[in-house]
Formats: sequence, C-alpha cells, structure tokens
Amino acid sequence: MTSSSGSEEERSLARMTGVEKWFGKVQALKGIDFEVRPSEVVGLVGDNGAGKSTLIKVLSGYHLADKGEIYFEEKRVNITSSLDARKLGIETVYQEQALAPNMSISRNIFMGREPAKPLGFMDKKSMDRGSMEALESIGLHLRSPDALIATLSGGERQGVAIVRALHFKAKLVILDEPTIALSVKEAREVLDFIKQLKREGISVIFITHNLYHVFPSADRFVVLGLGEKIADVEKKDTSIDELAELIVKPPSHD
Amino acid sequence: MSDSKLRLVRSFFNYRFFSIFLVFVALLLFFGFFSPHYRFTSLANIKILLGPGSEFSIIALGVGLLMVSGEFDLSVGSILVFCSFMFIRLFEIGMNLFLAGFITLGLGALLGFLNGFITTKARIPSFITTLGTMMLWRGVTLLLSLGYTRPFDTEVSPLLGSILTGKIGGVIPAQAIWFGAFGLVLGLVLHLHKFGNWIYATGDNKQAARAMGINTDRVKTICFMIVGVLCAFVAVMQIVRVSTFTSRAGDGWELKAIAASVVGGTSLMGGIGSMAGVFLGALTITVIENGLVLLRIPYFWTYIIFGLVIISSVLSSLYLERKRLGRD
Repeated sequence: MTSSSGSEEERSLARMTGVEKWFGKVQALKGIDFEVRPSEVVGLVGDNGAGKSTLIKVLSGYHLADKGEIYFEEKRVNITSSLDARKLGIETVYQEQALAPNMSISRNIFMGREPAKPLGFMDKKSMDRGSMEALESIGLHLRSPDALIATLSGGERQGVAIVRALHFKAKLVILDEPTIALSVKEAREVLDFIKQLKREGISVIFITHNLYHVFPSADRFVVLGLGEKIADVEKKDTSIDELAELIVKPPSHD
Repeated sequence: MSDSKLRLVRSFFNYRFFSIFLVFVALLLFFGFFSPHYRFTSLANIKILLGPGSEFSIIALGVGLLMVSGEFDLSVGSILVFCSFMFIRLFEIGMNLFLAGFITLGLGALLGFLNGFITTKARIPSFITTLGTMMLWRGVTLLLSLGYTRPFDTEVSPLLGSILTGKIGGVIPAQAIWFGAFGLVLGLVLHLHKFGNWIYATGDNKQAARAMGINTDRVKTICFMIVGVLCAFVAVMQIVRVSTFTSRAGDGWELKAIAASVVGGTSLMGGIGSMAGVFLGALTITVIENGLVLLRIPYFWTYIIFGLVIISSVLSSLYLERKRLGRD
C-alpha cells in the first residue's frame, strides 16, 4: 500500500548509503545500501557474521561507520551515540539486555526518562498509567505496573521492551533477534506486537535467523552475506525457500 | 483503603523487609526478657542504643544505598578517622567549628569521590579500591597523629554540641533524630526520586541502564560521595560526644555496615534492597552488640552471633523470595 499523500521526502524513513565498517583488517560491511520506509517491516536476514548486527549498530549509534552516509527523514544525520539515535526516534531493543529484572514494569519502561514532579521526584501515577496504556496498545494485558520483570514470561519481557521503545515516540524500532530463546507461543506474541507496531505507523527492522518467524510479519527482506547485500526483495516477489537459498549461497560478483 | 495506599503498605512490608522485621522484634523480646534486671529496656540503655548506637547506623544507611548501586565501601572506618583528624586539627587552630564541620564534610565527599572515580574510571572492583583506601587513609591518619589521642573541648561551641549530641526534651538523643532524618531522606531518594531509580537500574542491569542513557559511573560516584559525607558527619558527631580524637575511631565498621545492609535484605550483587530494611538491619546489629554485653556474655560471642544472624537472615529472605517468585 502506498499512501497517495506521501510526498517525496516521506518515501524513506531511514536510508543508509555506501556504509563500510572495518574491524582491524576485517571488513564487516562492504558498501551497504539499506533503506526503511514509513510503516514498513523489514526483515534483515543472513547467516552468522553476515554483518546484520554491525549494520544495525551503525544505525543505532553503537558503532561509527568508516564510510557512508545516513539519512533520516531525508535529512543527512550524524549518529555518533545511542542518544543521537534515540533523539531522532530510532529505538533498539536488544535481546535480554534491555530490562532490569528486579525492577517493576513501570520503572523499567521509564528508566532514565522518569516523568518528574518538582525536585525530581518521580510521578508514579503517570508512570503507572502510561505503562499500562502503552502495554495495552500492543495488546499486552499485564496485571499490574508494579510486577517485577523477573516474574514475567520471555514473551512478556520482550513486549515490555518494545513498549518502552513505543512510548517514547519511536519512529523506527530495531528488534535484534526478538524471538530467540522464546517458546513457540511466546514468539507468536512477539510477532503480534510487531504487527501492532506497524498498525501504529511505526517502522520495524526485524533481525533474525528464523525465516519462519520473519516471513509472515515482514513486508520486505534484505539478505546480507559476508558484509554484502545479496538481495533486497518485496515479500510478494519471493518465498521462504528462495530466501533460505540466498542466505546459504555466497555472494556472487557480477 | 485506596489501591495506591495498599500498594505502598505492601511494598513497605515486602518479603525481605518482613524477615528482618521478625528477627528484630524477636531480638528485642529476647533481650528484653533475659537481660538481668531488665536492664536492656532501662531508660539508660535505650539512650545508649539511640545515642552512640546511631553513629554506626547512620553510616550503614549510606553503605546500603551504595550496595544497591552494586558497589562496596570497605573504607568507611578509615574515611571516618581521617575526617576526625581533619576536624580536630581545624579545632586546634581555632577555626569556627561550624566552618570546620563543613570543611570536614567536604573532605568526606572528596574521599568518597576518589573511591568512586578510581572504581569507575579504572574499572577496578570497589572491593579492591576501597580495601586500598581503607589502609591508605587509616595509615595517613596514624602517621599524622602518631597514634596519640587529642582532646576536644565541647564548650567552645555548645550550639554544635546540642545540635549533634543534645537530648530532645532531655530524653531523646539528637543522634537518633539524625539517624531517622538521614534514613527518611535517603529512603525518599532511593524509592521515590528518579535518582533512586537510576541507582536500582545501575545495580540491577548496568548494560540496560547505560543503554537507556543513565550515566552509571556518575550514579555510583555520587553514592560513594554520599557515604563519604555521612562518614564525615559521624566523625564530627563522635568527636563532639567523646571530646577526644582517637586513631581507632571507626575501626571495624566497614564489615559491620555491610552486615547491616545484608541483614536488612540488600543484595551483594546490587539492584535489590530497601532503605527501611537497611535501617532495621543497622538497628539489629546495634541491638545484638548491646544486648550481648548486657547479658554478660563474653564479647567474643558477639562475632559468633553476628555470623549466625547474617547467614540465617540471608537464607530466610532467599527462601521467601523463591517461594514468592515460584507462586507468581
């Protein structure tokens, strides 16, 4: 679906061109062009060491690219820290590192960005209300904002981490292996959260090994291999089998 | 009762806090009934418990806060004695005692800052950093004082004396009021202020806290500085009370303070603990020490009892926690 009102500058939300990254003598990214459009779910797939995580870490400010440019909403941007990325509206949800297990749901969602009353005391009421509303907006119904993260299931934790990104007006949410180490039921929950994000008009980059998880939820697939872009295809033009073959095949130089 | 009020009560009486509360009440009953001539509950003894006893407890509050952020401070006794020496020197040169007191607090903050700075910038475990500064500052104090005691004259500033060590209404020692006030303020900071949320996040999952933009190094350093300031405060308070500087001040308090925090439900790994728990933990340690003396039990037993109380309280809080997590 293309929005007819979409002017030229709305065509891409985030665009990376010619990105290169070296780690010592190893070239992890070899001139990658990568783009995410508004309300689009992009599946970023590839084998271990393909460069998926490196590419995403450049976009989220964790790594600095050695070469290449990043445009956000068609404006050239410099992302040198995760704070820069967050200010633009790019939120990254890292597997298992995102939450503090012995803290409550609402304290986690507002971690580092607590709404405060005078003198810096937390506005607990607005934190609790904000968290419950945000959780319900992705269809996650939890008992109480005071429940500790340690008492939640893996899928629920992933949901809380996604909600945290959502609540802060993220325009682009990057999910790094969100379904790894989850049960089938929990993984399905996470996939539902992703659909909900798209419905809210938020773009998603979904990094995974698991084609069966990414295929139903993504609109487009970008396949990386050994630091190069092997394929960039719309879902309607491909199939799980074709993608699987592309992932295994080494990049061909033509 | 409104929902939020109920929740407040429930979090106050959380599982870890509840187990230390039971231990504390049991100890009070035990010492109350078994001390000869009921001396434990005599007014004179309660004044000792709340007066001099609060000195250690004030420092334990800071140590508990620091432990929630995931760090230790073994140097509290040495910061205290170094600050004591600073204060007595400023007294000897005739400085206004309030000014001297504030300078001493500044020194405490500086020593705490050094602990934090070394620990966070060099990425040395604070156990090691503060083991070093523990020896360093006591050594420096011994070197400068040559180990001699020095007299202090409370008459120079009766006002300072009554602020720090007076008796409210002739009964309640000022130290107890200070202990309560510090406990309240630090409790508000830890549980209701956003800085408290950063302390928990830093201790619970440092990576997550950093990813969310919390400067965990700064959080930890500020916690170290709070401990340093509390040590300096107690240093002044103690000198005013005993009218003497001694180079043995604060000796052995570092482990007692950690014990108080752990007994009060603070995790050694950081991220878990409450100010109410640390408050009761500090009182518990003080009560045990005092009660055993009143029972005429040889002092050596104190350590055995400490050991048993620490281990059993940690075991019971772990047991309760597992049970709770299992049920949820």
